[in-house]
Amino acid sequence: MFHGSGLFAVLLMVLEWTRPGLSSPLRPICDLRVLDHFIKEAWDAEAAMRACKDACSIATNFTVPLTRVDFDVWEAMNIEEKAQEVQSGLHVLNEAIGSLQASNQSYVLQSHVDASISNIASIRQVLRSVSIPEYVPPASGGEDEETQKVSSISELFQVHSNFLRGKVRHLLASAPVCKQGVS
Amino acid sequence: MAKMRSDRLKIVFVLCLAFVSIGGQHFESKVAQLLRDESEDIKCFVEVKDLTCFWEEERNSLPDQYTFTYSYENKIKDCVVSSLSLLASNKTVFFCKLPKTPFFTTLDVKVSRDRRMLYSRSLNAENFMFLDPPRNLTVLSSGKEGQLNVSWLPPLLKYMDDSMIYEVRYAEEGSNMGKVEVIKVSTMLVLLGLQSDTRYKVWVRVKPDGVAYKGYWSAWTEPVLGVTQPSELDPLIMLLVLFIGLILCLLSMTVILSHQKFLLKKLWPDIPTPERKFPGLFTVYKGDFKEWMSQNNSSMWGRSVHVFTEELPSPLEVLSEVSLSSHGTSQREERKPVEEDEEKESERSDSGLPDRWREPPQAHWLMEQLRTLQENPQPLSQSLLPQSHDTYVTLNQNSQGDGVREVDDVFEETLPLQTLFTTAGTPSLNTSHSDLGSLQQSSGSGRLSSQSSFEYPNHTWPPKGPGYAYMAVADSGVSMDYSPMSSSRIVELGRHRMYTNDYKNEIFLHKWPLSGEHTKSGSDFCMGPIW
Repeated sequence: MFHGSGLFAVLLMVLEWTRPGLSSPLRPICDLRVLDHFIKEAWDAEAAMRACKDACSIATNFTVPLTRVDFDVWEAMNIEEKAQEVQSGLHVLNEAIGSLQASNQSYVLQSHVDASISNIASIRQVLRSVSIPEYVPPASGGEDEETQKVSSISELFQVHSNFLRGKVRHLLASAPVCKQGVS
Repeated sequence: MAKMRSDRLKIVFVLCLAFVSIGGQHFESKVAQLLRDESEDIKCFVEVKDLTCFWEEERNSLPDQYTFTYSYENKIKDCVVSSLSLLASNKTVFFCKLPKTPFFTTLDVKVSRDRRMLYSRSLNAENFMFLDPPRNLTVLSSGKEGQLNVSWLPPLLKYMDDSMIYEVRYAEEGSNMGKVEVIKVSTMLVLLGLQSDTRYKVWVRVKPDGVAYKGYWSAWTEPVLGVTQPSELDPLIMLLVLFIGLILCLLSMTVILSHQKFLLKKLWPDIPTPERKFPGLFTVYKGDFKEWMSQNNSSMWGRSVHVFTEELPSPLEVLSEVSLSSHGTSQREERKPVEEDEEKESERSDSGLPDRWREPPQAHWLMEQLRTLQENPQPLSQSLLPQSHDTYVTLNQNSQGDGVREVDDVFEETLPLQTLFTTAGTPSLNTSHSDLGSLQQSSGSGRLSSQSSFEYPNHTWPPKGPGYAYMAVADSGVSMDYSPMSSSRIVELGRHRMYTNDYKNEIFLHKWPLSGEHTKSGSDFCMGPIW
């Protein structure tokens, strides 16, 4: 009896300390300067890849998300649609860039690849903090409409930069949680 | 009712025209500016939401000849080409305004004419933002000196409020030299370091910050005038200055009071009184020195030495005492040896006889002699020649020019001189009369010669001993030497400006028989010029 209660107490303490399971809700990050930091790094990667032509050329196709933002169309969409578009696009982008990690590339390319992967993960955290719904894998057959093909690494990083500056940023700017505090 | 409707329609139409014209002005100005600054063939910019691309062509062309296409994300679309005539530069441009501009994606733009591609360009629309200038610029003077509060509103644009960067330019009214301040996001700025009571012009322009959107600088706003406040004395500084001044005053007062006595002594020294040396003189005897002396005679005598002045006693040597039986008095004369150097000017005028000279009691006898001489004047030259080496007198500088002046004292000098020489010719030197006469004359001449003043205060003829009939008196100025001389010295009245009063008296020879032996040698010591 005594041993059981003691073990139970120790277990509680350990669990409390590690806190497994769902993480506690994050404080909303509405400041766009956080996202601007990632965007600036994406700019640097794009510029570096544009400059690096020979060492960074890979004869493979990448599936990347669409980055176009039509303001009229965008304004007409609701938050869930926007969220879905952004989250799926981040997913696709993550996979495309992540495919470069496996291959042995130059140090410059590897550093930018790693930075981009890390940034995408951080952006997901930021979106989570403002209560943007998580990515839900769509039913099969819906991916092709929202993706495109690129054939070079420089184009890949260009898409990466455009996506962050466009859709992700406008989604964050229009997050309801952030707008509630302002108004 | 119909009338009201028509009126409303008219108003709306006018407003639309106005709006379009204003917008058109902005559009035209932007086109004109890019036409000037941009080097690409196809110049593009985004105004509000739509991308406009234009190019310059010959005037004869028509818009219909051109085909404008743009493609993105594997889609190709066409755009209607229009023409625009710029009045300012007298140029014509063809442009196309994309109806639904896709942002954040790569656009490929192509212009072709007659199916022949003229220009092409690949760009992202969000990188060519050309904003309108900021609105409602206001400049107000802040409460502080040399500051101005500048505030404005961003241009009307929906998604870019937090990603704009502003440039504020300000300059003194009438001056072309302006300063520029860059400010991010915020729409107000405080200008610092301005001159007080001065009018300033302020301009503002805007541009995307370059993170999410990029673009060109907007046009400057219209200048707005602001006046800075006139300079005032900061009350805090005044208070501090007063406070520090007060503290300094207190410190100085404290120092002065603590060293009051010392300072008073330095600034206002006490007049020394001899009370200390004369105890009781002023208190007991009330200044009656006689009484005090009589009382303190014995005790004070020793101290009297200290009371006297610090002057050293001048050695006084009586050369001769002649008892004049006829005149009954022996005189004790003070004679000052006079020396003179030819090199030094003795231009000091005769200031008259020194007061110490006593009136010779034989003055009336002297006058008789003078009268005798006057009746029988002898040439001076003869008289001046030294007929005897014993007695001669050099006269002072007043005897100048032709010789005898009309000055009485000079005349007096000459007459006794003659008398002297006449008496010197007699072999006998023991005549009291001659001696007396010479003495008298010598006294007179000595007196007279004493008129000459010489500037050798420190140069005294040292007494050479009893054999030398001279007298040395060390005092402030005049010194006379009566050393007997044997060498011939020419002395002429009035001939030379400088004279040596080398007086040689027979009496001295008589008095000191040894002096005759010494005369020759004594003459060696004679000072003065040798002509």
